[in-house]
Amino acid sequence: MRLSPYIAYAKKCFLGRSAYRFDHIMDIISTCMQFFIFCEIYKALYGGSSEIDGITMPMITTNFVLAMGLNAVFYPDDYFLPNKIWDGSIATELLRPISFKGRMIAENLGNALFSLIFHFLPVLIIAVLTVGVSAPASAVMFLLFLLSAALGFGVLWAISFAVQMTAFWLINIWSLITIKNVFVNVLSGSMIPLWFMPEWMRGVLDFTPFSSIYFTPVQIYLGQLSYGEIALKCAVQLVWIAVIYLVGDILWKKGQQKLVVQGG
Amino acid sequence: MKDVLHLIGMYTKTTAKSWFQYRVDAVLKSLAVFLREATGIIVIWFTLLKFDDLNGWNIYEMLFLFSLLFLTYGIMIIFFTGLRDFGSTVRSGNFDRFILRPRGLLFQIIFVNSDWFAALGHGGLGITLFLISAGKVGIRWNMYNAVYYIFTVAGGVLIQGAVFLFLATLNIYLLQTNSLKGLIYWNMRKFAGYPISIFHKAIQFFMIYVMPFAFVNYFPAQYLLRKDDMSDYPEIFMYLTPAVGIVMYLIAYLFWRFSIRFYKSSGN
Repeated sequence: MRLSPYIAYAKKCFLGRSAYRFDHIMDIISTCMQFFIFCEIYKALYGGSSEIDGITMPMITTNFVLAMGLNAVFYPDDYFLPNKIWDGSIATELLRPISFKGRMIAENLGNALFSLIFHFLPVLIIAVLTVGVSAPASAVMFLLFLLSAALGFGVLWAISFAVQMTAFWLINIWSLITIKNVFVNVLSGSMIPLWFMPEWMRGVLDFTPFSSIYFTPVQIYLGQLSYGEIALKCAVQLVWIAVIYLVGDILWKKGQQKLVVQGG
Repeated sequence: MKDVLHLIGMYTKTTAKSWFQYRVDAVLKSLAVFLREATGIIVIWFTLLKFDDLNGWNIYEMLFLFSLLFLTYGIMIIFFTGLRDFGSTVRSGNFDRFILRPRGLLFQIIFVNSDWFAALGHGGLGITLFLISAGKVGIRWNMYNAVYYIFTVAGGVLIQGAVFLFLATLNIYLLQTNSLKGLIYWNMRKFAGYPISIFHKAIQFFMIYVMPFAFVNYFPAQYLLRKDDMSDYPEIFMYLTPAVGIVMYLIAYLFWRFSIRFYKSSGN
């Protein structure tokens, strides 16, 4: 398999994003604003106490900046396949001598790289200069954080991939994607730090893929997990990627036989 | 007049028909809007399970605060969908067709399209939250505050309608205003359900004087609930919502009338 066409797709996406500068600056401002507002909300909730259940304010702000930053980077295009089915261009896409899934990954990675450099980093710098963010627990933990964050991206991508495949049957899946995003937003820890979820809810979360998207990397960054726990949590991330991807792949194979192109 | 009502009826019928073309999708769509909008509520519910109250506001009082936000949006979007999507109407050149028809422009924009799913999703959520919270926040309902409530909801609808009208008018000059709308409307709206007293002064200023969400829900809720943090603001703010709505709408309308003369088609 030659990699060069995929790199070209990734590059195309990366450069395509840089064309909309005004929109992009607005995105950065909006992420910063959300971060500040969440910090204010938690300041009010803490009401002056330095820690609650062993969780300090710096841990909260670090959780938010990392989760929101990663959230900006991990933005798989949920409509990659649905749009192509909707307008019929899927027919020509399938004829091309390259893997459709490979192209999908390449474009998502190109986008993610752009957001990492021009969205996450500026937001992180602003957050460090204003509210303050904890340093990683150690250099090793930082490297493990990067690894786990990459796996978290894998989990999120696999979920998006599997949901998109239902477009072969349902055609218009805006609702399904929106509902998926509600689950990701609430349960992954980007809007409420998962430490503060009630006990029973954390039990439920252990059986879902959501907490391994942002929360596992954040916990590693803060040094809350031992090496044994890190190995276990990363293994859990890998299992989720494999399981969800396989489900998506079965749908992908069935879907191609079922595909109906409406007009062109 | 009869002719106008007939036209509104026809427009509503065609909109409903086109929306309900795919029935399963229609039900799912309302559910999706409902859930998406409930995200903020679910988050605050989980948070307050842990923390009991936010600057003196308990969970029911918070839900009451949120309910005003959703109820007013649900009513507003029945009328202002066309203004929300006005940018794409201008860019696609469809607006030129409106100009050629023998009816008022604003009339057509308002009645040609209604996003009934958003109306049902938001409005349904608003009513649900109201029913859950209204009996538990210690409001003694009587004629006076019922009338106050109706006027204040109408004011909240007008405030948000005015912002939509204003941003739609900007499209005439700029062609592309979505990111601006995202920043000042949608982004602020995510946090408009919180008592503004917890925020930084700059954000409070923005929410009172620039994008006045505070008049949509915070000050009206204060009139009914009388929480301690109202002492930070002039008492008169609790009575201003209908006036703010009417003044903002008039200004936005005049801006629209003034600007429409400069409309240039985007081509095609």
